[in-house]
Order: sequence, then C-alpha cells, then structure tokens
Amino acid sequence: MILFIRRIWAFIVRDLRLQLSYRMQFFLRVLSILTIVTTLFFISKIFTGFTDPRFAQWRDPLAAWLTGLAVLNYFMTGFSSLATAIRQEQVQGTLESVLMTPISVPTVIVASSAWDFLEATLFSFLYLLFGWLFFDVHYRGNFLLALLFLVLTTVVLSCLGILSASFAMVFKRGDPFGVFLGTGSALFSGVFFPTQLINQYAGAGVAKISRILPPTYGLDGIRRVLIEGQGFGEVQEPFFVLLIFLGVLLPLSLWVFNRAVRRAKREGSLIQY
Amino acid sequence: MAEPKSTPVAITVDHLSQTYPVPFLRLKKLLGRKFKPPVEALRSVSFEIREGEIFGLIGPNGAGKTTLTKIIATLIQPTAGAVSVKGHDTVTDDQRVRRNVGLAGAEERSFYWRLTAEQNLLFFARLYGLGNRTARRRLAELFELLDLQEVARRRFAELSTGNKQRLAVARAMLAEPPVLLLDEPTRSLDPIAAMRMRSTIKSLSQTNNSTIFLTSHNLPEVEELCDRVAIISKGEIRALDTPQNLRAMHTAEERVAIRFTALSALEAEQVINKSYGSYSFVVEAGSWSDETLVRFTRALNDELLDRILRVLQEAGAVVRSVETERATLLDVLESYEGAS
Repeated sequence: MILFIRRIWAFIVRDLRLQLSYRMQFFLRVLSILTIVTTLFFISKIFTGFTDPRFAQWRDPLAAWLTGLAVLNYFMTGFSSLATAIRQEQVQGTLESVLMTPISVPTVIVASSAWDFLEATLFSFLYLLFGWLFFDVHYRGNFLLALLFLVLTTVVLSCLGILSASFAMVFKRGDPFGVFLGTGSALFSGVFFPTQLINQYAGAGVAKISRILPPTYGLDGIRRVLIEGQGFGEVQEPFFVLLIFLGVLLPLSLWVFNRAVRRAKREGSLIQY
Repeated sequence: MAEPKSTPVAITVDHLSQTYPVPFLRLKKLLGRKFKPPVEALRSVSFEIREGEIFGLIGPNGAGKTTLTKIIATLIQPTAGAVSVKGHDTVTDDQRVRRNVGLAGAEERSFYWRLTAEQNLLFFARLYGLGNRTARRRLAELFELLDLQEVARRRFAELSTGNKQRLAVARAMLAEPPVLLLDEPTRSLDPIAAMRMRSTIKSLSQTNNSTIFLTSHNLPEVEELCDRVAIISKGEIRALDTPQNLRAMHTAEERVAIRFTALSALEAEQVINKSYGSYSFVVEAGSWSDETLVRFTRALNDELLDRILRVLQEAGAVVRSVETERATLLDVLESYEGAS
C-alpha cells in the first residue's frame, strides 16, 4: 500500500512540476472560468421570472449551469484523463520508460489520472466558488451525498475512460467513446437545459439517448441534492442506475485495457502514436 | 558456439521468435485490401547469459537487436519461445523481471524534457519503489559515478546528447538491478566520456557481478568489453563465442607491415626472394621518406616474422617499425553478412 501511494505521489509531483513549468496556462484557465461564470450570470438574467414550474432544478438557471459545468468538468476528467495521459506519454516517448518500471497496470491507470483529478477538483470548485462569491448563488442539501454522486459518476466515467485509453493504445487515433461521450454529454445529459425538453421537442426516441449516458444520472442526482435539497431516499433511482453501470463497466474496462497493453506489446507499438 | 560455464544463468533465451503481425489482417483480407507480409524480426534465437557476464550483441540495422532487447525488458511479447531473467518469465512474471532489469535505450525521447535531470530520476526512482532518502542518496552516487553533478539541476531539454545518454544509463542503474540492458551506451559520448563509461561498465560487472547485455555498432568497444559476443543477422544468431574465438574462426592469419631504412626496395626484394621466394611479399619504396615497406600475411604465431626481420637486418636494414593487423569483429560481421 505504501508503495502504491508512493507511486501515485510520484506521478502527482511530476505533473505538478510539469504544470509549474507552464505557469501562464494556470492563470489563463482561472481567468477563463471567471469569464464563463460572469457571462452565464448575465444570460441568466434574461430568464428572470420565466422559469417553468415543471423544472424545479432550473428555478435559478445560473445555479443549474454552474453545477452542470463544474460536474461536467469533473466527469470529463474521469473520462478523458487516462487516454490523454497515455497519448501524451506515447507522443513524448516516455510510455516505455514508465512501463519498464515494476509498476502494475491498475497503478498506471490510477496514477496517470491523479493530477488531472486534483486539477479538476480545483477548477470545478472555482465554478461554484465564483458563483457564490460574486453572484450570490446558494447551494443547500447534503454535500456529502452530492460528493458520493460525484465520486460514483466519475468512477463510472473513468471506466469508459479506460476503454477509451485502450483504443488509444491499439488504434492510436479515432476513439468512438470520445465522440459519443464528449459531444453527447453536453447535449443529452442536462448540462445546459432540462433533459425533459429533448422529449418534448425531439421525441421519445431521441430522449432515450440521455438515459444511456451515465452523466445524466450523476448530474440529476447532484442537482436534486444541492439545488432541491433532496435526501438519499429520494435519489435512490439515479444512485442505483450508476451502481449498475459501475458493476458492468469496471471489470470490462480493466479486462479490455489489459488486452490492449498485451496487444501493443505483441505488435511492439507501445510508443507509436 | 561457446558453452556457458557453470556460474548461474542470469538470462535464458529459448527458441525465441518474433513476427510483427499485420494490424487487422483478417479485416484487410476480407475487404480484399493489399497488405505487406508480416515482419519476421527474430527466428528461433537461443542462448544463455551467465551472471556477471558482459554479453555483446552485434549486427546490422534491422537485424533484430532492439526487438531482442525489448523482449528481455518485457516491452514486447514474443510470438514464440520464451525468455527468463533470473528464472522469471518475461511474459507471465513480467513485474519480477522488471525489478531485476534496468534498460538504457538509445531513444532520446524517453525523459520529460521540461523537468530537470534530478527531477526525472527522482520520478523514476519512486516508480521503482525507492523512498525519498534512499532515492536522493542513490541519485548522488549515480551523478558522481557518471559525472553528471553539474547538470543535475538543468532541464533535460538543455542537456547535451552525451549527458542525455548518461542520464539514461543512470536511470537503468537506479534500483541497482542485477541485469543491465545497454543499447549503444557510448553512442553519443566524446572519447574520454566513452572511455569512462566503458570502465564503469567493466567495474559493474567485476565488482557488483552485474550481468550486462550490450548492443553496439562500435565493434572495438564490444571487443574490449564483452566476454562473449553474438552476431545476429536477419533475426538469426549466426555466431556466438568470445571475441578472440570469433576472430580466429574468421581467419587464422594476420597482416604484417615492416618499415626500415638503409636498404632500398630493390635490395630488400632480392634478399627476401632469395630466402623466401615461395611466399608472397609486397615491397614498396616509401613515397614521403627514405623508408622501405615490406608487407606480407602470415599464420598467427608462426616464425616467419622473426626470420624476415633477421634477413633484413643481416642485409643492413635498420628496422623502424613493425605493425600487425589481425581480423576484427568488423571482418567477422562482414563475412557473416556476405554469407547471408
């Protein structure tokens, strides 16, 4: 266990140092979050007094958007960080050196994403913090329960991220999970508008897409807890759907990733990209 | 081929074959798409390397050296056959193999360019499981051993090619593995740094009993360092023996050149032909000096050289130099390449 933590720490320190070598990038990111929050504040003012009573989570659109963006940022990190890390190591040529050390595949998976999660935590927190600090956005409910949803959904998306990384390992480019989740989540998971509207305007067939995307359940659960103040008894449905996703995707993704590493080793293509 | 002695075996390569598959072959066949035939990088390669031995692998580009090195390092899985390091199989027990092996490859892009030399090595030391204090102590030792102290705090991107090469060797030695795989370890070093690197490699084998698997295009270096050398060509081991035996297998002769003054080329030719007319000699007058040159080939350790010198001196020649030139590993390699 100490060895495992030491290795994760090694990756975090490495990535922090690499990040510090590009200081300007960090400040620009913080500035862009503040700009987005400010822009959304002004857009939300257009809707003052027009909220549809059917959409309880959208009474304060700014709170709904900020929660959506903060959580989506986290989810996307869970989904894309491993594939990005592996691709980066392939491009840099360092993947072989890392895999030359006595480090297990699960450790590589967790460690490669560790820094990205720390960074995503900070940036997601900034969305909420700027909303609260400058634009009077208030959150209520059980923060621990919201955190549980956040972690569960992120782990589910990390499983899809492992599948995506397996594609990067074998096919090098052209990852179908990225296209499906990257564009699909923003449109179908209720980040910017209630998912019920898809049913109303595009029909039940298209609306079903949102039901097969894990972020839909994660985001719904978190908003119900933080914005509507619901307790565990009321959010069991999205919670258990996420657990089912996890039960299927976790073993599948680890198996596929192991196979992808073995295939790349057979082909001698570990550092090719 | 030379038989290994009774010392324990560090690396066993057993009927190893590697064919790089054609990606999506079935799909390409199904779609009737053209495809290149699979590349056969290694064909039934077998040998053993003893503990503490420096083993050299030489061969032309594309012969299979890198593939073989990467299979031993667990980075490529073989198509057939097996490799074990310290008794651990490189496919089924790869983590244990990696604990026992350090690889210094010829690939320059294997470090993080925006981190310093020290930060790079600290990262890899932690992946090898070294604690902070042990890692820093080990780094100090390696920086001193490989003369890298002055560049420890410099970014990898700012290092010279030679220093990058040395840093790769330092990384391979981080966890003090019993087996080191060195791919052209002196490739980019200046002559003095290369000499130091060779002496480090020798001392690792002699004092730490490290087993060293070395690939190189620098054949004099291989001759100087290696206890045994394998010649690989087109994926097959063509010969494996000590450098001396490999040279002797190629030819049991050496070329001799004697330079002398006080005797003209004509006079020298006459006295030599009188005594040894049946041998083939070349006698030349020096173009830039008053020296005369006699060149001939003789069997190793025969008495012909001694006799020729005596004949020349008795005829009044003052011998200025005697140079002998034996077959090198390059000659041996060329002969195997020509044969294949």
